[in-house]
Amino acid sequence: MRKITTDVAVIGGGAAGCYAALCLHNKGIKPLIICKGLVGKSGASLFAGNLVLSGRLLGNTEEQAKNTAEFLIKYHNQFLIDQQWARRCGEWIEKNYYRELEEAGLYFRRDDEGNIVTSPGKIRSIAANVQGNSGVPFMDLRRKQILRAGIERLEETTATALLCDEDGRVGGVFCLDILNGEYVVVLAKAVIMATGYSDRLHVRSTGTREMSADGIALAWRAGATLVNMEMQWWHTNDAAYPPSWQRIQIYPNPMLGSEKSARMVNAQGEEFFNQQRDDPLAFGPYTVQLKALAKQVHAGKASYEGGYYAGFDHCDPKEVETYTTYAKPFHQLGLNFPGDMLETAVTSHYRQGGIDVDIATMRSSVPGLYVAGGVGGHSNGLIALATYDGFSVAESIANNLDGIPSKDIPQQSIDREVKRLSFLRESGGNGLSPVQLKEKIRKMMWKKAGVEKNESDLRSALSDIEEIRNHVLPDVRIMNKTKSVNYEWLDAIDAVNMLDACELIVQSSLERKESRGPFFRQDFPLTDNNEWLCANVLKKSGNGVRFERRPYELPFFQPGFALRDNLEVPW
Amino acid sequence: MSITPSPYGFARYLGRDENHDTLAARNTRLSRGQVIAVEIKRSEQNGSFQRFHVPYEPRMRVLDALNWISENEAPDLAYRWICGSKMCGTCGVRMNGREVLACWEAVEPEMKIEPLRNLPVLRDLVVDRTPFEKKVASFEPWIERRKNYTEFPEALTHKEMKDAAKALDCIGCMCCYSACPVIRLGAVTDFAGPAPLVQLGQTALDPRNDPAKIKRSLTQTGIFNCVSCYKCEEVCPAHIPIVSQVIEPLKTKTARLLPHLAKHSLALRAVVAARGRVDPTALLLRVQGLRVLAKIPRALRLLVRGKIDPIKTFIRVKTAAYAAAHRILSKGPELE
Repeated sequence: MRKITTDVAVIGGGAAGCYAALCLHNKGIKPLIICKGLVGKSGASLFAGNLVLSGRLLGNTEEQAKNTAEFLIKYHNQFLIDQQWARRCGEWIEKNYYRELEEAGLYFRRDDEGNIVTSPGKIRSIAANVQGNSGVPFMDLRRKQILRAGIERLEETTATALLCDEDGRVGGVFCLDILNGEYVVVLAKAVIMATGYSDRLHVRSTGTREMSADGIALAWRAGATLVNMEMQWWHTNDAAYPPSWQRIQIYPNPMLGSEKSARMVNAQGEEFFNQQRDDPLAFGPYTVQLKALAKQVHAGKASYEGGYYAGFDHCDPKEVETYTTYAKPFHQLGLNFPGDMLETAVTSHYRQGGIDVDIATMRSSVPGLYVAGGVGGHSNGLIALATYDGFSVAESIANNLDGIPSKDIPQQSIDREVKRLSFLRESGGNGLSPVQLKEKIRKMMWKKAGVEKNESDLRSALSDIEEIRNHVLPDVRIMNKTKSVNYEWLDAIDAVNMLDACELIVQSSLERKESRGPFFRQDFPLTDNNEWLCANVLKKSGNGVRFERRPYELPFFQPGFALRDNLEVPW
Repeated sequence: MSITPSPYGFARYLGRDENHDTLAARNTRLSRGQVIAVEIKRSEQNGSFQRFHVPYEPRMRVLDALNWISENEAPDLAYRWICGSKMCGTCGVRMNGREVLACWEAVEPEMKIEPLRNLPVLRDLVVDRTPFEKKVASFEPWIERRKNYTEFPEALTHKEMKDAAKALDCIGCMCCYSACPVIRLGAVTDFAGPAPLVQLGQTALDPRNDPAKIKRSLTQTGIFNCVSCYKCEEVCPAHIPIVSQVIEPLKTKTARLLPHLAKHSLALRAVVAARGRVDPTALLLRVQGLRVLAKIPRALRLLVRGKIDPIKTFIRVKTAAYAAAHRILSKGPELE
């Protein structure tokens, strides 16, 4: 076992974690990044297609600036967001974000005359090098900034438990190096959880291979309060097959240098969604699309598993290919571009909810545990917001680090984790393999906690989870007991986290008795702003859970109605 | 037969139509229900191949086949992947002797799958990325400006960023690194390899970067060991013109900033400019200077076998192609 001592342990190597580490480093505080994949190459940040312009940047008008804020609050968060925080975030992005990135070397796509190319319309965006691929150079830059700063990284290393002192303060992280099977204990004055928005908890999911809700599960087990776990976002137009292409999206966002964007047609070829026509304010129109699709599904003209199509057959190929990568799946499949459409299906995407965060300090409810980015329950995803969190959490820690008492981690909590992990690896069961177990959980979630939910399915999901936890998990069969690159072992560790997170998601889904944005309850189809314009707060209570509601304030934007059929609400 | 040009340019796909190996053909060759024979190199069976039979699913990728095998037959198979959509660059393998990204490449009826070459294998298909990472780190892959950055957006055109922007498409999958025959030679040369050079190109070809900084990075590339075989371009899943838009511009930069490293190339260029042809003797004299005197017996052997021609070298200096060569080379990149 290896022991490392640092000032701050950052769990996650995406936009939030990297920027938090860089900001801490610049303040003379020593961070260490623990990344289950590779820093800048795993997680959701890589998928940033384009970067939304806020404020008055690059000639944005007052109206466009307001639209961006409205989009974030309404379409992106369904009003489940602190609007004052959103404003602060927008101001920070306008003043600092683009400047910092460009100074570090990020290339914002220009034309030959030197103008930054934007997507026109009510909300504008720009791209790092190419639209559809912005996350790649963006995160590659972060990876190299981390390298340049000499910040220590533990890559392909999974955090398996938060280590607490006797008062319950988080003071370390227990990790497993996936490549050599070595246990690593990282001791730190503070821990930042930055594990991202999207987890592979459904059969179809945009979460990358390593995302198994570890951040949620670890924080919950350490006693953290969670919020809005039921608010799951969905993509409606990701490639229906091959299975590995679940996160190949036919991007519906406006294109750089064009007035058009992808359109969607049902099984009969009838167009049922076109962002430019249906809702130009819906910049990332995922929820609007989902509602449009639900109507098609109800009419028998599509299904959530496929049978409908998306593409660019109304565009000039040059219009699409000059500044975007949107044609790449079509070409790779040997299809005609733009003539052919691609069959698409629904995929679970970001989770709006997560760990409950005090946005003034980025603290969770557990002392010593901070949060940045998508794993927090304070906002839904955008790479700029995750970056702002990285900045905020570093500010907060820098202001408090001296006041944080040094913590002794009891040896028995380390021993307990060693025992738990070793037991999983040496498991002598004769049942499912860990990867089959993960698939079983995902199938159950897709079927019983999928796009359209109801009480009886959700209750049945809870009993399935109980059954899997008590009977299937203990009988898991691990074929190879090696410590070297043992993904079987990792999958078993993941499955435990997935079960914890799934249970919390299902419980929270039962609790929210309305439909809102992408959260569909068949038994509660109305959006209920009287009762549910509030955070669905989930607290640990003995061996169970306890829910509380915390209303949101609405200083700048209001929904303007009390009750309405969710499918008729534009956002 | 009519040949449809590929959307990514023509030359690199030459012959694929005739061999029925276009992307359209690769995606329609198999149909649902057919069985693919997959052989995978396994570490724990002393590097022997284990055979699997995988049912074909529409549009199946190599990664889907690996996932099927892991779920149904060999849960202990070690293979790395993260994103499944050609962005993270971690799922590169060799399939039937060519480097592919498992998530991106269509399956074939019979597949032999091995780990990437030129990197240590950790287990099964998982390779150790550290040699690549270390090389990239040694280049200090960031930009340093001569003048302080002032405001967003800074003055910059796409024309100036053309080559660097191509390099920015790199996802670090190391397919090219595995395909490179010079890297295959091991420590015989100090060649950094295509993937690290593309990573270097991202900042070294960026006009915002300080030439002094670029010069520092370029000293340790061994770039003139590249034999321009284009294997790297052929396998690059990101379709980066690695030789023509990254390595060649980097060679030019090296020749300009560090001419002593480009001695051989500059001499060759001078010989062609002066004579309109490659003259091995003249090249040897320019590069080796007086040291050739120590190698007289070898020179005599070359003379006997007709490999060198002193008459051409010393008397009929200029060929008919002189004018053309002079014209072309005087248009080329300014070196001095």
